[in-house]
Amino acid sequence: MSLLELQHVHKRYADDAGERTILRGVSLQAGKGELVVVWGLRRSGRSTLLRVAAGIEPADAGTVRFDGRDLAASGERLLGEGIGYCQKTLRFADGHTALDHAMVGLLSRWVAPAKARVRALGALERAGAAHCARMTRRELSAAEAMRVSLARTLALHPRLVVVDEPVKGVELSERDPILGLLRTLADEGVTVLASTGESTGLSQADRGLVLGDGELRGAPPRELAPVLPLRRLRREASG
Amino acid sequence: MMIGARQPNLAINLRIRYAVVMKAGKASGDAAERGDAAPMRSPVNWALLGLVIERPSYAYDLAQRFERRYGETLPLSNVGHIYTALGVLDGRALVEEIPGTREGRQPKPHYRATALGLKRYGEWLIGQVGEDRRRNQLFVLALGALTNEPEQLRAVMAGYEQACLAEGIRTPIAGAQETGVDNAPALLGRLGEEENRLAVGAKLAWVQYARQELKKLSGHRRPE
Repeated sequence: MSLLELQHVHKRYADDAGERTILRGVSLQAGKGELVVVWGLRRSGRSTLLRVAAGIEPADAGTVRFDGRDLAASGERLLGEGIGYCQKTLRFADGHTALDHAMVGLLSRWVAPAKARVRALGALERAGAAHCARMTRRELSAAEAMRVSLARTLALHPRLVVVDEPVKGVELSERDPILGLLRTLADEGVTVLASTGESTGLSQADRGLVLGDGELRGAPPRELAPVLPLRRLRREASG
Repeated sequence: MMIGARQPNLAINLRIRYAVVMKAGKASGDAAERGDAAPMRSPVNWALLGLVIERPSYAYDLAQRFERRYGETLPLSNVGHIYTALGVLDGRALVEEIPGTREGRQPKPHYRATALGLKRYGEWLIGQVGEDRRRNQLFVLALGALTNEPEQLRAVMAGYEQACLAEGIRTPIAGAQETGVDNAPALLGRLGEEENRLAVGAKLAWVQYARQELKKLSGHRRPE
């Protein structure tokens, strides 16, 4: 069974310019330990798709299930309790360190400060950001910020990590190690759903999908891939 | 092809072939000097010229280096191809024999690039942009054959998109030891992969664009 399952999800936004459909009947499955990457152009709705998949935004229609549970019914309770979400930009208050940031999720769940500190340090190390523990936001490079963001998520031991554009703005030499980290997480059994605006982000994913014009295209999971007979040319079929 | 595992008589055969192709190469070189030679299109010739520029050497060593450097990227049908290519390069005055290297009991004429060879090699590298354009145009023109078969066209576009995704996924992630600039072969490999990655992104973006445009086209068509 898929850990994450989106079925016929629709999402629309309305603004001054009118109503815009972002997702049109999108269906997606991701199994345990699978690294799925969604590629899309700017404004294709890839970030919206990830927020809906993480349960941060509700779908207008369709269902989103995590481990068989409907996110619409469970609300944001699953966020942080099985689902971890890393956003593009890392924000934390001035004067606070990366370690403080990595502890926030734990402290808000009433984990004792001393225990939270140990777990956060472990998560920073797992994310390759142990050296950043005492750094403030301004001192972090784009790659380090992504690692700290991942550490905050990993500190809560998620089974699904949803990460929006993990390599955006990351310099060339740091990009592949970030992708390698996501691959490692998946190999360790964590399901990873990532978005990317650059084809670089697809490297070594188990599955790549394209989001365009509100539709998600690409290969389905291997177990769900239908065996389609070869379609004959129209003339042959009618003749 | 395993160059190191050749038969003993092969070296003699290759030397005979070498003499023949060098003579043929000289003849084409005369044409090059007159300016009526056809452009050199063989990627093997250009790749070999690159190896000579990198380090002057003799034919057999160049053949071995060729296999190590280009391997499956540019497979040789047989080792004799290198001798033929060397003859062509010599004939076109892109390489020249280093004086004094033909002497001795086992003469091994060494070759080095000429100033013209270095110049032409740079021009060929830059010209690859035009080659890409030609290949892309060929693809789009061939795709055009399906404009009256919209269903098939959509299926091909979807298949092409999936092939691009698969290509993007296949790209390896560089290990920490591969990213250092002091590791030249690894760096070359990374640069090659990087160009491929970026090309995949451009192709995926093109598919989105083409889909939109084809949708407009089908919208303007009158129903039959």
